[in-house]
Amino acid sequence: MGVVELDGYVLIVRGKDASAFINGLSTNKIEGTCTTVFTNSIAKIIDMVDVIDMGLFSALVGHGPNKDALLSHLIPRILGQDVQIADASESNVVLLSTEDLDVENGVTKVQTFRGWLVISPHGKEPGVTMSDSEFTDWRVENMIPHPGFEITNANHPYACGLGLLVHEDKGCYIGQEILARMKSRGRQGKELTREKNPVNDATSIGSTHSLVIRRC
Amino acid sequence: MDCNTCDSAPAVQVHAPEVVNAMLTITDKAKEMLSGAFGDDRSHALLVGVLSGGCSGYMYDLQIVESTDQDCQELTIDGFRVLIPNATSHLLDGIEIDYVDRLMGGGFKINNPNAESSCGCGESFS
Repeated sequence: MGVVELDGYVLIVRGKDASAFINGLSTNKIEGTCTTVFTNSIAKIIDMVDVIDMGLFSALVGHGPNKDALLSHLIPRILGQDVQIADASESNVVLLSTEDLDVENGVTKVQTFRGWLVISPHGKEPGVTMSDSEFTDWRVENMIPHPGFEITNANHPYACGLGLLVHEDKGCYIGQEILARMKSRGRQGKELTREKNPVNDATSIGSTHSLVIRRC
Repeated sequence: MDCNTCDSAPAVQVHAPEVVNAMLTITDKAKEMLSGAFGDDRSHALLVGVLSGGCSGYMYDLQIVESTDQDCQELTIDGFRVLIPNATSHLLDGIEIDYVDRLMGGGFKINNPNAESSCGCGESFS
């Protein structure tokens, strides 16, 4: 398929406690590069974030409109730990490629469940080759939830198809009790489905099918 | 991602919370249990800390320590040295340290007037 530009932010998190800090506040077990979800006390999504282990620091790549909410969530919880956060959003472009691609030196590329995430300094980014409607069709076909559409603060991770990012044995984090209860009782309330058009209340409308979050 | 640009990325401002002179109380039952833990050696201190994480966002952290590299305020309560890190003093002002004698879920408990909610196990609060 191709490459699309995302409305993304890039936060740089440094310090010896950085990994434990991120791990203690999000749904997935943070072991190197991975994708995780920050949830609030009622397990609603604050943001889905790709954590990229860059050696000397971790980069958090999330959805631009959610940056302030995430920072408001994180900053009060830095309680004397060795954690510093910087904002590298202005100097980088965030793209998503549906297939592997070659990138220039200085461009970071990681594979995620939704494709290859590319973080590039301005001027080095690969060209955009896919229209918004083509990207939506690809997402609908592959049931890939997207921030602002399925991944919103009205939903918990299970409802919008992010159950793969909820680690069941990692221990406590904000929202964990509610997600654990849903899992143990087999009641997640809603789920992401793909239906043939026309679809009422669709979250993403493709040319033949749509994504919709339905009660289950 | 170009690491040169990452090095020059502007830091996100972290507003350190105001340091308050924390007051705390320890119930008789908790003092009894602390006496058993400390023994006759009162040179050690009870470090009452808060970590980020847990089901509600913050977790209590009780340790018996000789010293700590954290910037702390020290209280003496009935002969017990109690250390409270300045970074979390705003979350701990007014707490009561209790001990609950139960087979399940027993142990030291912290009653915190600053907590809006707590998780089921009592170790985490927000």
